[in-house]
Amino acid sequence: MTTDLRALTPQHPVLYRLAADGESLDFLYAQCPACGTLAFPANVPGCGHCGDPLAGAAQVAQAGVGTLLEYVTLHVPLFAGMEVPRIAADIQMQGGGIEEGVIAGTDESVLQHGMTLRAVAAALPGGQSFTCRFVPHTGASA
Amino acid sequence: MSDWTDDNDGVYVVGIGMHAYQFPSETPYTHLGLTAVRAALKDAGLAWPQVNSAYVGTTSIGMAAGRVMLRHLGSTGLAVTQVENASASGSFAFRQACLEVARGVSDVVLAVGVDKHGDARRAADKEGLQRLSETANVPPVKFAMMARTYLRERGADAASMARVAVKNHCNAALNPYAQFRKPRTLEQVMASPRVAGDLTVQQCCPRGEGAAAVVLVSGRALRRLGLDAKRAVRVRASTACSETPEVAYGSAAVDLVRTSARHALEQAGISAKQLDLLELHDAFSVEELLYSEAIGVCEPGEGAAYLERGDSAIGGRCAINASGGLIGMGHPLGPTGLGQIAEITRQLRGEAEGRQHRDARWGMAHMIGLGSVAIAHVLTRNAA
Repeated sequence: MTTDLRALTPQHPVLYRLAADGESLDFLYAQCPACGTLAFPANVPGCGHCGDPLAGAAQVAQAGVGTLLEYVTLHVPLFAGMEVPRIAADIQMQGGGIEEGVIAGTDESVLQHGMTLRAVAAALPGGQSFTCRFVPHTGASA
Repeated sequence: MSDWTDDNDGVYVVGIGMHAYQFPSETPYTHLGLTAVRAALKDAGLAWPQVNSAYVGTTSIGMAAGRVMLRHLGSTGLAVTQVENASASGSFAFRQACLEVARGVSDVVLAVGVDKHGDARRAADKEGLQRLSETANVPPVKFAMMARTYLRERGADAASMARVAVKNHCNAALNPYAQFRKPRTLEQVMASPRVAGDLTVQQCCPRGEGAAAVVLVSGRALRRLGLDAKRAVRVRASTACSETPEVAYGSAAVDLVRTSARHALEQAGISAKQLDLLELHDAFSVEELLYSEAIGVCEPGEGAAYLERGDSAIGGRCAINASGGLIGMGHPLGPTGLGQIAEITRQLRGEAEGRQHRDARWGMAHMIGLGSVAIAHVLTRNAA
């Protein structure tokens, strides 16, 4: 049975929303009114580039796509309820900034440094909401 | 070269004291801290009423830990200030004490670090911002990523990183104040359970508790009080800074270490190659390789080779983490930076029985706090 992700709510609606394809995620940024830099998450209390308070900053949606910089498998739970193994990755987002994300699955062999990753919605247990996971962006190059 | 550490006829460490680092226990923190303070006063040959001011480095005990503890030595009315800056709390307590002595505010100042293992609550988890990954602010993940990058860029294997833990566990086995007192082989370190990436549990610092205390005096007080000048160790540099924008992936922490160390070496008027002793933040094994290169005791890319040649061993070119470091001696947070100062002082005095680095003249204590603040101190034998 396929889960209709459109019926679920994002675990972190400040960070992302479901894209038009019903599977990928768009990330939500605040555009600094002073210098134009995109800030993530959109509710940061100041622009990391120029220090502007971002009052009234426009929200900008960008595809949750980025370049894989580094990844490691985590072997022990580092917070309550964390399932292991789990792959954490540092990703240079196309919208700007480096973010740590979670790779879908536990197989490091599908990953290569410099490859393009895409954020997708992954249904959480309980069937009410979805979270963010990254997968290789098929057909894309870094 | 003249700078503020020369003011008031210089800043000197005249007393050190420790409570051994240990696994979490029911021992009250007051017992840990008072053990260290009493030992430091005895080592200095000073009485508690002679101390003008106290700085207390701690992260997890709670409000006003200093006054609650120090009143058991007598309520002399001295100034008491609590300092918290993550792993670097004790180091910053020491720096504040140095500043107070150099500026002539006080002539005799105590810096004490004491901690119990707490709940690891961090400000970064309370800033009201959500993250894509729940481990985005968890140090082992960050350093496992740095380790993976380091090994790949240098064509090194996981064993080259694990050798840091072998050395530091062996050093700790010689240190009566260390939390771990067993030498470990490369095979044992590599075979211990994996935590994150290539980091195994024996390459990660333990949770623990303990205390370290240091008594500082001005040069004027050193003479006026008739203290033993030959055992005094002089503070020749104290620098601190925080993170700047990352110029390349993974460079922020290393740049922070490089900058703070360079400023300290410039203040002391020496080169990194002149350091005989270096205590640094090896909470995770890869850090020692990265930071020994960043500080400049070895060339960029040479960290693993420097270690493998024995250059960073006790008796080598520059003994790195002769105490056992955070991996071997332990990392109870509040005391850690002051434990570094105590170790360097002991070594410079020639009193590090069983692990003495020969002819030590210059030592650096370097610490970072949650990867975003850095602090460095350079100390030397009084005659240098």
